[in-house]
Amino acid sequence: MLEVTNLGKSFGSAQALKQVSFKAQDGQILGLIGQNGAGKSTTFHSILNFIQFSGTISWNGQALTEKDYNIIGYLPEERSLMPKLTVQQQIRYLARLKGEQTADIDRQIPKWLERFAVKGDKKDKIKSLSKGNQQKIQLICTLLHQPKLIILDEPFSGLDPVNADLLKQAILEAKQAGATIIFSDHDMSNVEDLCDQILMLKQGKVVLTGDLQAVREQFGRNRLFVKTDWSTERLAALPHVIQVSLTRAGTYRLTLDAESAGPEIFAALTQGHYIQTFDQQPPTLDEIFRMKAGANDD
Amino acid sequence: MTKMGIVAGETYERQVKSWSFLILVLSPFFFILLSFGVGYLSANAGQAKNTIAVVANDSNLRREFIQSNTLQTTNKHATLAAAKQALQQKKIQGYLVLKTANNQIQVTYHGTKQLESSAKQALQQFVIQKQQLLNQQAANLTSRQVQQLNQLPQIQEKVEKEESTTNLAKLVSFWALLFLMYFILVTYTSTTAQEIASEKGTKIMEIIFSSTTARKYFYGKMLGVFGVIVTQIAIYLVGGFALYELAPHLAMTKTLFQQYRDLIDQVLKNFFSVNLLYVLLGVVIFTILAALSGALVTRPEDATKAAQPALYLVMLGFFGALTLNQQAGLLVVKILSYVPFLSSFFMPLRVIDGSVSGLAVLASLIILVLSIAGLTYYVGGIYSGLMLQTDNVGFWKSFKRGIKIR
Repeated sequence: MLEVTNLGKSFGSAQALKQVSFKAQDGQILGLIGQNGAGKSTTFHSILNFIQFSGTISWNGQALTEKDYNIIGYLPEERSLMPKLTVQQQIRYLARLKGEQTADIDRQIPKWLERFAVKGDKKDKIKSLSKGNQQKIQLICTLLHQPKLIILDEPFSGLDPVNADLLKQAILEAKQAGATIIFSDHDMSNVEDLCDQILMLKQGKVVLTGDLQAVREQFGRNRLFVKTDWSTERLAALPHVIQVSLTRAGTYRLTLDAESAGPEIFAALTQGHYIQTFDQQPPTLDEIFRMKAGANDD
Repeated sequence: MTKMGIVAGETYERQVKSWSFLILVLSPFFFILLSFGVGYLSANAGQAKNTIAVVANDSNLRREFIQSNTLQTTNKHATLAAAKQALQQKKIQGYLVLKTANNQIQVTYHGTKQLESSAKQALQQFVIQKQQLLNQQAANLTSRQVQQLNQLPQIQEKVEKEESTTNLAKLVSFWALLFLMYFILVTYTSTTAQEIASEKGTKIMEIIFSSTTARKYFYGKMLGVFGVIVTQIAIYLVGGFALYELAPHLAMTKTLFQQYRDLIDQVLKNFFSVNLLYVLLGVVIFTILAALSGALVTRPEDATKAAQPALYLVMLGFFGALTLNQQAGLLVVKILSYVPFLSSFFMPLRVIDGSVSGLAVLASLIILVLSIAGLTYYVGGIYSGLMLQTDNVGFWKSFKRGIKIR
């Protein structure tokens, strides 16, 4: 388990992180979200001991030190490999730095290349690969040594939906194997698909944390999806309805001023009418993110 | 293998297996062989055209003249007709006609260009000797009279050969050492600075620093480069030794080597001294400086600029030593021979001049070694900050920010 307590970091007069605390459990995925400059990468850099910080960071109750480097798998935000090396040389070099033996690495390379459907040979130079395939090689370098702590800084950026699914599958397999995984992403659907826990940072401070479903529930089930023959004007005239919009699927989306208004609206809609859909939901993570980030912060 | 060893091994392997290293190492041997080869071939090609045929009515005189090596002669074209034809066909420079008639030797030279004055002198000397012999025989002199007539004045020339060779050896040693060091320094500072700058530009450092500490990585990197430098110097030593052993036996170098044997031996003696250590340590300290300046660049396209600070210092040492090479006793030379970075240029100058004590050399070496150790430790400590600082703010600000990150 990774435990971060009162993490703080300043760059000159600018305070990048303020009293950030969270826990990431074994076999769970923690999504670190926040706007650009919120402090996500600084948090990762602190965990990886790239920078000095205040507070404590521990792994299974002990401070993370150099001896723990081999259990960490890190994918940085900016993609980077050595262009002049071959695929095999690159994977070998980085895996050996993680304590793997050359023979084991060579045995695993074909499996990983197949698993991520890399188009190219292990003898190909990195610079000859497409951007997407280079990213897959980097993912292989991150995961090959079966790390116990995986830190992924925007791992889906630049991946097409098919390759994003391959990565999601690999992340879920690592989770099944008991790894502690932290990842950041600006696409909230990825976070919702994968995460057990979320942590939202705003200007270096934690503004939201906890179990994903519980966090959503905190904001109340004030979104109502209705499929009916009522008109937009008639729906807007209902009590407690703030806003009405029509989705592409032909479903009305009603925003309520209170979760408790649901039964009253249900009764009104069903009086002598058949309705195909009545679904009361909490806000999506994307909506929560926008709410928390605040419109002025964009 | 330790992680430092893995980094060192990877750095070493990548550099040694590169074409640029192969070219760098082999180019001096290639140029030496090329210059000797071209010299030999052109000398051989010209030799035939520069020879002189000899035609004589006295075959003994002809044989004696050819065997005396007075001029560069050929045994071919012994008749007048053959010699004329050879001259027309430009196979020879000219021909000599030696005639003995009535106890007098007559010599006529026919050629496309005049005989050189030294050749004329040698020819004259040979002919006078032969004419004297004929005269003595004709005069029926006793052996005592002959001896008295042959009495020559004694002219002696005493040159302090050792002294003059030593001075020349000093000069040659210094120039050779200075240019070798400049050549290696420029190569390694540029290569190292550009490699570090490129690594920083590709942002791979974050992945590497999640596997090992920046300090260990930096030490490994420097160790790898050090291995490459040692390999290059070792190849030069082995190659140089092989050339030294082969040169006296090769046709193209035999004469030259015999002529300058003393000089070559003294130059080599000056090389295989503490000076070689100064070359090695000089390259090491400049490589560390180059790594530091490479780490201050933020964009891959600026990688070529990365070596500039280290190169300026190399040039300062090079031109300074070049200017002051005949003035090893100057106070400024003495001071600079203790200053790290510059001591590699100025102390060898004093060592070759023979005007420095062993204690002074030792003190200068200790300062240099401690500086290398101190600089390596310091750069190792701030390396992480420098490599992770990627804002394009220029050298100095980048340095200050890098220090603050850690």
